[in-house]
Amino acid sequence: MSGATTTPAAEKRTRVTENGPAGEQPEGLRARLAGSPVLRLVGRRLMIVIPLLFVVSALVFLLMEALPGDPAQIRAGMDASEEEVEAVRQQMGLDRPGHERYLSWLGGALTGDLGSSVVSGRAVTTLLGERLPVTLQMAGMAFVLSIVISLPLALAAARRPGGLVDRFVMVCSMTLLAVPNFVMALLLVLVFAVGLGMLPAIGFVPLAEGVWPNMRSMILPVLSLAVPMACFYARFLRGDLVEQLNAAAYIDTARSKGTGPWRILWLHAFRNSSFGLLTLVGLNIGALVGGTVIIERIFAMPGMGTLMLEGVMSSDVAVVQTCVFIFAAAAVFANLLVDVMYAVLDPRVRYGSH
Amino acid sequence: MRSGARLATMSGMLNATREPAATSNGAAGPILVVDDLRVTFSRHGRVVHAVNGLSYQVRPGRTLAIIGESGSGKSVSVRALMGLLPPSAHIEGSARLDGTELVGLDDKSWRAVRGCQIAMVFQDPASSLNPTMSIGAQLIEAIRMHAPLKRREAAQKAIDLLKLVRLPSPEKRLKQFPHQLSGGMRQRVVIAIALSSDPKLLIADEATTALDVTTQAQIMELLVDIQERLGMAVIMISHDLSLAACYAHEVLVMYAGKAVEHAETRNLFSNVRMPYTKALLDAIPQLSTPAHLQPAIVGGHPPDLSALPEGCAFLPRCPSSTEQCRIEPHLAEHEPEHAYACWHPVSRDGSCTGQKEERP
Amino acid sequence: MAVTSPPGSATLSPAPLAGSATRWSSFRRRLTIWISGSVVALLVITCYLGPFVLPIPSPVGGNVLDSGLSPGSPGHPLGTDVNGNDVLSRLIHGGRSSLTVGVVVNIIGLAIGGTVGAISAYLGGRADSIIMRALDVLIAFPSLVLVIVLAQILGPSLPNTILALSAFSIPAVARISRAATLKVMSMPYLQAAELSGSPWWRILSRHVVPNIVPQLTTFAMLGMAIVVVTEGALSFLGLGIPPPRPSWGNMIFEAQQSMSATPLLVLWPSIALLVTVLSFNLLGESIRDEVTGR
Repeated sequence: MSGATTTPAAEKRTRVTENGPAGEQPEGLRARLAGSPVLRLVGRRLMIVIPLLFVVSALVFLLMEALPGDPAQIRAGMDASEEEVEAVRQQMGLDRPGHERYLSWLGGALTGDLGSSVVSGRAVTTLLGERLPVTLQMAGMAFVLSIVISLPLALAAARRPGGLVDRFVMVCSMTLLAVPNFVMALLLVLVFAVGLGMLPAIGFVPLAEGVWPNMRSMILPVLSLAVPMACFYARFLRGDLVEQLNAAAYIDTARSKGTGPWRILWLHAFRNSSFGLLTLVGLNIGALVGGTVIIERIFAMPGMGTLMLEGVMSSDVAVVQTCVFIFAAAAVFANLLVDVMYAVLDPRVRYGSH
Repeated sequence: MRSGARLATMSGMLNATREPAATSNGAAGPILVVDDLRVTFSRHGRVVHAVNGLSYQVRPGRTLAIIGESGSGKSVSVRALMGLLPPSAHIEGSARLDGTELVGLDDKSWRAVRGCQIAMVFQDPASSLNPTMSIGAQLIEAIRMHAPLKRREAAQKAIDLLKLVRLPSPEKRLKQFPHQLSGGMRQRVVIAIALSSDPKLLIADEATTALDVTTQAQIMELLVDIQERLGMAVIMISHDLSLAACYAHEVLVMYAGKAVEHAETRNLFSNVRMPYTKALLDAIPQLSTPAHLQPAIVGGHPPDLSALPEGCAFLPRCPSSTEQCRIEPHLAEHEPEHAYACWHPVSRDGSCTGQKEERP
Repeated sequence: MAVTSPPGSATLSPAPLAGSATRWSSFRRRLTIWISGSVVALLVITCYLGPFVLPIPSPVGGNVLDSGLSPGSPGHPLGTDVNGNDVLSRLIHGGRSSLTVGVVVNIIGLAIGGTVGAISAYLGGRADSIIMRALDVLIAFPSLVLVIVLAQILGPSLPNTILALSAFSIPAVARISRAATLKVMSMPYLQAAELSGSPWWRILSRHVVPNIVPQLTTFAMLGMAIVVVTEGALSFLGLGIPPPRPSWGNMIFEAQQSMSATPLLVLWPSIALLVTVLSFNLLGESIRDEVTGR
């Protein structure tokens, strides 16, 4: 890989590959599956990820215990008498010890019952059904857009390091990278909604009401999320590409074949740089998820982020718990996916490196 | 172990020297004419003179070995022939390949020359293949770069090439990746890539330095064999004199970016005239001479290429230097077929004593 | 191997020439360090000494009758906000909050995270894997999500903001410190030191720490930018530094509500945030390049 510092994920990866189980070899299809390094890697990573998710859920539960506000009081209403609150508490099972409540929550979660909102009384699963698609659409579009913007910019910049395009891309990306996404959102609103009146400043139109209105309501939030990320990726990728071009011997081999500069960039250098980018993108999923929280808030998008924030403000334990857990699980699974893609894309991992 | 193998090679060095190529080849005009090639780099405001007026010719079917220490400019001089130097390099002089001037070519014309007319084999087979592309993809890319072949035809040619470089089970190799091959096998693949378009000139830049000694010999034998079959010209860059002695028709010794001695291999090794070449030869350990009796290795440091002294660049390290050496000696054929640049050449009887005793 | 090159000879191979920086680019990098460093110094001086030296009014307790004054009004060079408070004064005091949070969080992160990472790598084995698993759990949380929940648990205040932000700074620094330590530990000179029987504290203090500190300090520069932004986000959401105490984040939030009427009120703190983040990023990146010699 590149000479960049070892990323945590890469480091984890090597650690994982070291203690590979060399168990007995079953026959037939099972043998082939067991023999596939990719599947073995997925298996090994799952062995880490699943316990990790349990610990994460326990930690979330502990955090919720510490959240200010008494759920029973909230459910019963502020003017309820002490007896009424106590009755609600018993009804909600809040008088039971913590570990018992955790286990029953866990049992419910595994069977698809995530409890109900203390504030609205609606089932958390119903809320998720409404909110998750909005966030998924926004984060997914921002993710794709950031990659689509950054790749051509990085390749164009790396074509002539120090050249005009390179300097322009580097200066612009450095500046835009310094704009936090919530500031970016406000600036975009100022220009496109307040100033030019081209796009709605806030609000979300579901896909059911038409593709174009839905897209219009998505443009600004998605841009606010995607632009800083794209700058980050473009800078990283450009740096890695230039390093490959300058230092890697296989680039000389490719050049001495008579291969053209773009083909060298795209086919040779980029293939090798893509692993570093992949790791970075995986690590950045957490930042993307965090970003959706604040961007949804600014644009009043009815997604997971606003759901969580509303829950946090109103001490709606069941809601916050689920949201935080889903956010964490999304980041964990994103990294798992990166590891798998790594294995699929990198022949050194795919075929084992002996 | 390593030096043992080297000594074995050295003892048979001179009788293994390659005879001049067949007359039919010898009569052909030079394929490459390098004339007063100069390469400078600007670095931190200093100008580094990496190559200082290098001239030589290579004829088809012949092998020229360019020998020198690290930093003597040998590698830079051939990378200039491939257009592989970074943009900070400034190249002057002339290098004509089959009549085409290489100095000052634009990017587009370079692509027609590279791979097609000149090919290169690099030092480290571990890193000179793209780790993310299969052997087949890299080979086919090279084949299709210069020939309008269909993918299947190119794949067939790739297999033929791998057979040519004697890689076992070539069909299987196409789907494999570089990390699945050993160093020697990788170097064979790199050679196959270099040969993909029948180059007129093959440059081997320290092509065997990173390999162990047995593999080294196999790869060199392969190169010689292929050269004899295809009749191309070869330039081999090395700092290993024994390798040059075994496999080259003529040897050019470089010091501080200049040629200091240039002759037929047999001529040069039996009659070393330049004190620097002699020092290099003396630096090779000999079994016949006990270690404490062996002559001192070359003292001093290679010169600073950004501040070369007036006169002979070897002057500060030369045992036989005089005032006259402050005037630069020029490379000239002081003897038939033997050019050197020195005012005080090593006398005939003083040269290569160790070598002569070894001869049967 | 080097039969032909004398021992101790200084080699000048073409490889470093190819990838090396020219004089111009190294000059430009130094210039970047100087300029961004000066901006950072200027920010620090203005925010910490400004309130005592500059003739600016109090950032709080403004008269509502003075609200919405435009920039250039007498006594209010950048005008006033909706509450009649002087914008310049609030910017400077807000900057003080942001920088204080940034510095303290990074010091906590470096001290705790740096030590934990280095010790974890040095101990290796079981202890290392337990520590790393624990950090994995913390890192699994998207930072802003964790910080939001912690901030709500702790309640909005400056010290609590610092605590909440440290929760993501510590594991991040620990990972970097661990990776850097592992790299040093694999170096031959360290193995030589271990073989020659140097005590562990000597190895840590003589070999490990001096080698990881440059990497950690450059990370701290980039970390400053991250923490300042996250603090801004937190205060923007009303979970960070509580009004009326100014912070760039809560200034942006307040200004957002009257954005169409007075867009400048959004721009001032945004620009302050941008300049701060940009100069810390530039400083961090150019110092890193300088250290690694790229």
